[in-house]
Amino acid sequence: MKPKRNWLNKIPFVVAAVLAVGLVAVGCVGGMAPVGWSGGTVSGGTLYVGSSEGQLVAVNLTDESRRWSEQLQATSRPGLFGCAAGGSTAVAIYGSPVVVGDLVYIAGYNGKIYAYTAATLSSRWVFPREGYFEPFVGGLVAGGGKLFVGGSDGKVYALDAATGDKLWEFTTGDKIWATAAFYENTIFEGSGGQFTNEDTLFIGSFDKKLYALNANDGTKKWEFTTGGAIITTPLVFDSTIYVGSFDRTLYALRAADGVEKWRFTGNNWFWAQPAVWKGVIYAGNLDGNVYALDAENGGKVAEFQTGPLSAAPVVVDDFVVFAAKNGAVWKIDTASREMAKITDLVAEVDGPLATSDGDVYIHAQGTSLYRINIGSGERRLITLKSGE
Amino acid sequence: MNAWELIIQQPLINVLIVVSHAFADNFGLAIIALTILVNLAMLPLTLSQIRSTRAMQEIQPKLAELQKKYGKDRQKMAQEQMRLYKESGIKPAGCALTFLIQMPVWIALYQAIMLTLAVAPEGLLNLSRYLYSWDTLFPLLPLNRDFLVMDLSQPNFILAILVGATMWIQQKMSATTTPADAKQAQQAQLMLWMMPMLFGVMALSFPSGLSLYWVASSVFRIILQYRVSGWGGLRRQKPKQTEAEKKYIKFDAAVQKKSTDDIGADIVVTDSSKPGAAVTRPERTRYQPGKDRAPKRRKK
Repeated sequence: MKPKRNWLNKIPFVVAAVLAVGLVAVGCVGGMAPVGWSGGTVSGGTLYVGSSEGQLVAVNLTDESRRWSEQLQATSRPGLFGCAAGGSTAVAIYGSPVVVGDLVYIAGYNGKIYAYTAATLSSRWVFPREGYFEPFVGGLVAGGGKLFVGGSDGKVYALDAATGDKLWEFTTGDKIWATAAFYENTIFEGSGGQFTNEDTLFIGSFDKKLYALNANDGTKKWEFTTGGAIITTPLVFDSTIYVGSFDRTLYALRAADGVEKWRFTGNNWFWAQPAVWKGVIYAGNLDGNVYALDAENGGKVAEFQTGPLSAAPVVVDDFVVFAAKNGAVWKIDTASREMAKITDLVAEVDGPLATSDGDVYIHAQGTSLYRINIGSGERRLITLKSGE
Repeated sequence: MNAWELIIQQPLINVLIVVSHAFADNFGLAIIALTILVNLAMLPLTLSQIRSTRAMQEIQPKLAELQKKYGKDRQKMAQEQMRLYKESGIKPAGCALTFLIQMPVWIALYQAIMLTLAVAPEGLLNLSRYLYSWDTLFPLLPLNRDFLVMDLSQPNFILAILVGATMWIQQKMSATTTPADAKQAQQAQLMLWMMPMLFGVMALSFPSGLSLYWVASSVFRIILQYRVSGWGGLRRQKPKQTEAEKKYIKFDAAVQKKSTDDIGADIVVTDSSKPGAAVTRPERTRYQPGKDRAPKRRKK
């Protein structure tokens, strides 16, 4: 007679399987796989944005149709369970695209920088031409015919915007995830009657320092040490640099020599680049507040509760528009210092906001791009999903 | 933030960051230290689990005998099984309870490590909401992820091998007896290899910071297992007579008149389909469910 199979014998295997599945499930905690938070850039009636599918997408703003899109090339295969670093088939794009003349540029987490023709999206050049660098998290910035970017290898690269050739590089003490700020400054020297190009690049690093580099040759002009890593894009206004640090402090430094003018401490990180309007700095903090500070002396003018902020705001007319991480979109009236909620996207927002003709463009988590009219509060959804 | 994050994850993450700073910003050492710390906190539970497992293995022959004896009568089988557990000082519910208490702690530590590693930029941004408002805490991030020659945010082949190897050693040590039943023995052997291999393969896909945690945990349990039962199943054992054979010899000596062919005679079989069937009473020298005393404990 055939012996009866005892189901109890299978328990160890069931336990092992459940344990394995459970581990994978709980192991994929939030933020394990890079997704990207690219903001949009508007130029000539077209919005360029890096999608969460790893594509550079061009949207025609007249009819909100997709003009074209281009898939960035992934470097590696995802991990077995999709939990490993870089474990995604799509290239994460964190920095917003940059448009200069007829070219559009974008940096990917795959360690490559791409240049496309804005009209047709044909590839113009790629940097590096062979292989891949460490991931680019910070975005590109253009100035003086050059492109500047900081990489996770701790280096600042300056490229010829037309050809993609490397012009110079500068090494910091740790990773760079911040976008640089370009400060155009041509000085007229009276006695000789000569113009001197003093273009400066400001960039923060995980080594806790803000660097001021000569944009022409990459030589260091000065450096300023904060108490924490810097991921914020510096804001340059009226010969002053405003930059937030992981020590929860926003610093105001003299652009010429890096001397500290004032500092203001919040309750969490200043992650997003601040905005400035009429002599007031509006700095969003991950503690859930927007601090309005006097640009001259750092005195607190007002404080607004919006919810944690990691997306850089924009100024539209007399309003400063913020999008909180939880998707709530707020506008602060800079004249009356009153705040009002415009809409609730019910989607996480991490990338910087973009603006054009009174509309604000917000790339929320997933493949959603929102177009919001600040005056009427009207909201339109533009999907970035390929095939739609 | 939900209750799990507030009560379990957040404290662990903050402690992990502080410990990392205490070890000169060495996150690898912080993982090892916190794993040891959590293991020490759960030491009584782990010890109880190891002893229960050991006791369970020791009564396997008796359980097999019960299975043979009451295999068809499930109720009686369950009663005798419980009696045997009681006499051997084993609490099956206690084992499950220990496991239920330990599991959330392991998962929490596991998640805390993954979150603190902040592999992707989203991870670092996400980490900000877990931080206590201690002045010293914020500037410590992001943590230095270099440990020895490894980047703890990336998978590491050597650590993956170590995950599998240490897990195998620990499991092998805890298996002090080989099940008499060939099927069970085969299954135990399969489990001995399956889990370490599964975790080894998983380690190839996860950040090596997590592998470090698995290795540290396994090494801790190896040391603990060694303190409780020595090298256990890791020591090369001389081939022994199976328990079934021992019982048979004992029985054979006691019942001299019986034929050696009548091996099954030591098992009482009650077949209700045959009324009046002769019932052979087992001899006192054999194990009698419910009457035998608990086995002598090993001298410490």
